[in-house]
Amino acid sequence: MRLDSPIKLVSELVDLPLLDTEGKYCGIVDDIELSGRPGQDLELKALLVGPGAYEGRMPAWLMWLIKKVAGDRVTRVTMDEVQTISSVVHLKRTGGELGLHTSETEAGRWIPHKGAL
Amino acid sequence: MNPLELTLGIMTAVGGFVDISELVFAAKAGSQFGYALIWVFALSTIGIIVFSEMSGRVAAVAKQPVFNLMRHRLGLKLGLVTLAASIVSNLITCAAEIGGVSLILNYLTGAPYALMAVAMTAILVISIWVLPFQWIERVYGLLGLFMIVFAAALVAIHPPWSQIAGGFVPQVPAGLSTKELLTFAYFAVAIISAVMFPYEVYFYSSGGIEEGWGPKDMLTNRLTSILGMALGSLLAISILANSAQLFGPVNVDPEIPGSAALEAAIPFGKWGLILALLGMLFAVAGAAVETCMANAYSIAQFFGWVWGRHKKPWEAPRFTIAWLILFMLALAIVLTGVDVMMLVEFAVLFSILVLPLTYLPLLLLAEDKKYMRQYANGPVAKTLGWIYFAIITAAAIAAVPLFMLTSGGNG
Repeated sequence: MRLDSPIKLVSELVDLPLLDTEGKYCGIVDDIELSGRPGQDLELKALLVGPGAYEGRMPAWLMWLIKKVAGDRVTRVTMDEVQTISSVVHLKRTGGELGLHTSETEAGRWIPHKGAL
Repeated sequence: MNPLELTLGIMTAVGGFVDISELVFAAKAGSQFGYALIWVFALSTIGIIVFSEMSGRVAAVAKQPVFNLMRHRLGLKLGLVTLAASIVSNLITCAAEIGGVSLILNYLTGAPYALMAVAMTAILVISIWVLPFQWIERVYGLLGLFMIVFAAALVAIHPPWSQIAGGFVPQVPAGLSTKELLTFAYFAVAIISAVMFPYEVYFYSSGGIEEGWGPKDMLTNRLTSILGMALGSLLAISILANSAQLFGPVNVDPEIPGSAALEAAIPFGKWGLILALLGMLFAVAGAAVETCMANAYSIAQFFGWVWGRHKKPWEAPRFTIAWLILFMLALAIVLTGVDVMMLVEFAVLFSILVLPLTYLPLLLLAEDKKYMRQYANGPVAKTLGWIYFAIITAAAIAAVPLFMLTSGGNG
C-alpha cells in the first residue's frame, strides 16, 4: 500500500505492528492522530504507540488497571517517519531514534548479557 | 529444500507430538472404551494438521505470526480477551507438563516430586537460555522419539489389527448406559482439545518466523505438518491401543501418567520401561517448553515487543522476562501440591474453550488474499478449516456441561 493511496484508517492501520530499519519490532499502532476541521480535509498526522494511547478504546476500569500495570506512556510517530504500510508499518528510522525502545532498553538492564549460544 | 533439514523437522514434529494430556487421555480412553475412540484421535489430527499448515503458511507469506495479525483482525478489546484466555490456558497446560515431567523423574530416580519440579524447571530455563531456537526444538523433539517404543510394544503384543483398523471408523459403542455415553462424549471432547491445543499453533507459526520461513518453504511447511503430526498421532494411538489390549480386559484404570509406561514394560521388560519413561520425559518436557514459549510469543507479539529465541535473551529483554516469569508461575502452581491429573483436566477444559477464539482469526487471515496473495486458502483448506471450526465450537460448547456431568470423566 502506498502512503498516498486511500486507506480505511481504522481497519487498515490501527493495531498493526511497527518495524524499524533494523527489522526490530517497535510496538503496535495503538491509536492515530488526525487533524482537520468541519469542511476541511481530514489529515493523518501521527501514529500513537504505548499503553496511554488505549484511552478511549478501553472501558474506564480496565484503563485504570492498565495505567497501574503498564503506565500511560504514549510515543508519537509522525507520518513523515513511515516508509510503507503492509501487514506491518515499516519505519524510516530505528526504534531507538524514534523513542520507541525505551521500555525494551529499561527491561534490558535486568537481563544478564551472557550464557547464550 | 534440504532433505536432511526436512527429515529432522518431521522427526522433531513426531517426537514433540505427544504431551501429558494426550498421554493420559489415550491410556484412559483405551482402558475404558477399547479402540472406539481411535477415530477421535484421527479426526483431531487432521484438524491440527489443517491449522498448523495454515499458520505456517501465514508465517511464511505474511511474515507475521498469529498473534500480531490476530490483534489487527479482532481489535484491541476482543484481542485482549483472547490473549488473557490463552495465557490462562497455556499457563495451566505448562504447569500440567512440568507436573507430569516431575512425576516421571520421580519414577525414574525416586527423588521427591517437589524437588524434581524445581530441578526440571531450572533445566528447562537453562536450556532455553543457552540453546538457539532450532536446537531447543530439536533436542526435545528428537529425544522424544524414544516414544516409538510404544509403537514397537503394540506390534510385540500381537493386537487384533482388524479391531484397531475398525477404531478409525467414527462410532459410538453400543450398549452404553447414559452415564457411560456422557463419559465417552467427555473423552471425545478432551481428546480433541489435547490434540488441538492452541499452544501448538502459536509455537509452530512463531517457529516458522524464528527460522525465517518464506514462500520457498511452503512444501517444508506442508510436509512437516502432515507427516510429522500424522506419525506423531500414531504414537498416541499406539498408547491407546496398548491400553485397550493390556489394561481394559483386567479393569486397570491408568489413572497416573506413569501407568502408560507399563505398556512397554510388559513386552520388553526393564529396558522397555526405561525407554518409555525417557520418551515420556523428553516429550513432556518439550511440551512444557513449547507452552511457556507460546505464551511469551503471544504476549510479545500482541504488544509489539522484540521477540524470538533466534535473538540472544538480552536482545529481546521483555520477551525473555515474560518466559522467565511464566515458568516461575507454572512452577508455583505445581508447588501448591495440586494433583497433576487435575491440572491435566483443567488444561484440556480451558484449551477447548479458547480454541474457537484462536482458530477463527487464523482462518480469516489465511483466506485473506490481501495478505496471502496466491497462497490464500484454496477450496480444500477453506472447507476443512470451516468444518473443523464448527467441530471445535461444538466441542467448546459441550465441554463444561460434560465436565460437570461426568466429574471430569471420572463417572
